[in-house]
Amino acid sequence: MNEEDVKKKVKLYIQEADLYQSQGLLNEAKETYLSAGKLVKKHESVLKNKNLLKMISKKLQALKGKIDRVENEPETVNLPKNVQDIIKNKFAFSQNDDTGALEGAIALAKFGQFEAALGEFNELINRDSIRVEAAKNIIRCHKALDTIDDAVAVYQEWFDSDFFTPDQLNKLRVFFQGILDGQGIDIKLSEKPDIAKPPLNDAAESEAETPEIADSELDEEEIIDISSVGITLNEGPKKGETIEYDVSFQAGSVINLLISSDDKAFMETLRTGVMLNEVQFYSPIAMFNGRAVVSSKSEIESGPKQGYYSLDIKVVSIL
Amino acid sequence: MANINLKKREIECKIVYYGPGRCGKTTNLEYIFKTFRKQAIGEMVSANTEGDRTLFFDFLPLGLGKIKGYDVRLQLYTVPGQVKYSSTRKMVLREVDGLVFVADSIKVRRKANIESLRDLHQNLKEYGLSIAKVPLVMQHNKRDLGKQGIPLLPVEQMERDLNRQLKVPFFPASAIKGQGVGDTLKTCIKLTLQSMKKQLGW
Ligand SMILES: Nc1nc2c(ncn2[C@@H]2O[C@H](COP(=O)(O)OP(=O)(O)OP(=O)(O)O)[C@@H](O)[C@H]2O)c(=O)[nH]1
Ligand SMILES: [Mg+2]
Repeated sequence: MNEEDVKKKVKLYIQEADLYQSQGLLNEAKETYLSAGKLVKKHESVLKNKNLLKMISKKLQALKGKIDRVENEPETVNLPKNVQDIIKNKFAFSQNDDTGALEGAIALAKFGQFEAALGEFNELINRDSIRVEAAKNIIRCHKALDTIDDAVAVYQEWFDSDFFTPDQLNKLRVFFQGILDGQGIDIKLSEKPDIAKPPLNDAAESEAETPEIADSELDEEEIIDISSVGITLNEGPKKGETIEYDVSFQAGSVINLLISSDDKAFMETLRTGVMLNEVQFYSPIAMFNGRAVVSSKSEIESGPKQGYYSLDIKVVSIL
Repeated sequence: MANINLKKREIECKIVYYGPGRCGKTTNLEYIFKTFRKQAIGEMVSANTEGDRTLFFDFLPLGLGKIKGYDVRLQLYTVPGQVKYSSTRKMVLREVDGLVFVADSIKVRRKANIESLRDLHQNLKEYGLSIAKVPLVMQHNKRDLGKQGIPLLPVEQMERDLNRQLKVPFFPASAIKGQGVGDTLKTCIKLTLQSMKKQLGW
């Protein structure tokens, strides 16, 4: 190639890269600038214009800044009210008013709108059919917001006020204590003396109360609250090991886990659709084994849990 | 599944624009909002990052007026195309009635198109839906860039990559200029309503 040919080709590359950049295709832009740079280097001897390389590297520098910014972008975690309203109203699919409202509030939490979700759940605990579920979600939201102390205070209010029946309160206590213990937080929740708590070795019995669940027809309603899960790996370098994770959210049979990005190798084995054949589910009152399928996986981009993976697994069967 | 209110004689259906990051889904909705103002029964709502990438979804409600005595409403959504937002994409896809797959004609996005279609296939499957049965229209977007000397995938190649087995209607388009946007949407609405009629005996 003579000087003119090289210059023309380089110019085309740069135009192309500029366009990719304007389209937000930043990695494609980077590759194309790099190709332009390589071409200049290769034909350095025929090029009189020594500024070309400098110009390209300047463009690359600016682009890298942009890529960094996009990657570390603090994504507006608090969405405006109109967007939150759509989430609340359009991501609730149940025909039943109460469960629909609960679904809407859970959707807010799933979209990371914990403050708004908390507001909803605080309303929803006034509805009889879903008050315990709403209360559990209040605790979950506080956990996600790292305001467990507030949850403890709220629990104490419930405890002092007779807002819940002793039986409901006991359910909440067992649920919440499980979370506290799971996080290694040394707080013992107040307990009504007159309620007999299920002794630990009654676990098998309380499980027997729920009807046998066949492999294929797992009833969403039948899944009890799971506070943590142990996953036994059947591939990868840690094959055979069981790793335990806290549950961050649960909606019926779908359980959301937050997994530290240190476990990268492990996460790579957890592709969507992968069946986990050996899973231990821990609830505050029982431990049981079962199978679950990975239903989705994504990386958390901002907020206190940045860098973590958010993993949804769906309980397929309980043994 | 679409929401039918027999009493109020209202039907609400959900159409989702799917496709790889930066392929032009939001641009499609923006153009629709601009040109079909009269049909819009609410504002277009977007949840973006600073870099204009869709963070959660875009939403645009349209009214089609009365069809067979029913007030038919459409909810258009886009998903966030970036690979990392996979759980959001799945949430937005829930109870979808019709789909537009927007593919990027830029040559270097060939793999991203194919992967996004595969992701759609997988997510539908997890909701018990088959990509071969859901009302689906393809759009090969950004055709205008060929004139600017940007290497584009020939339409035939994109059809081979994405539509060889599905054989759904497809439209070359330039969402930014509005070319092909209306035809894409109209065809998707037609397919969606046809499928609803079949399912509901409506
Ligand atoms: N030249 C040209 N540019 C387009 C066209 N459609 C979209 N763009 C540009 O492509 C870029 C991305 O468009 P968006 O509509 O934001 O893409 P998206 O699919 O919503 O992207 P995500 O939200 O990240 O998934 C923007 O800079 C648009 O202006 C088109 O038909 N022609
Ligand atoms: Mg978008």
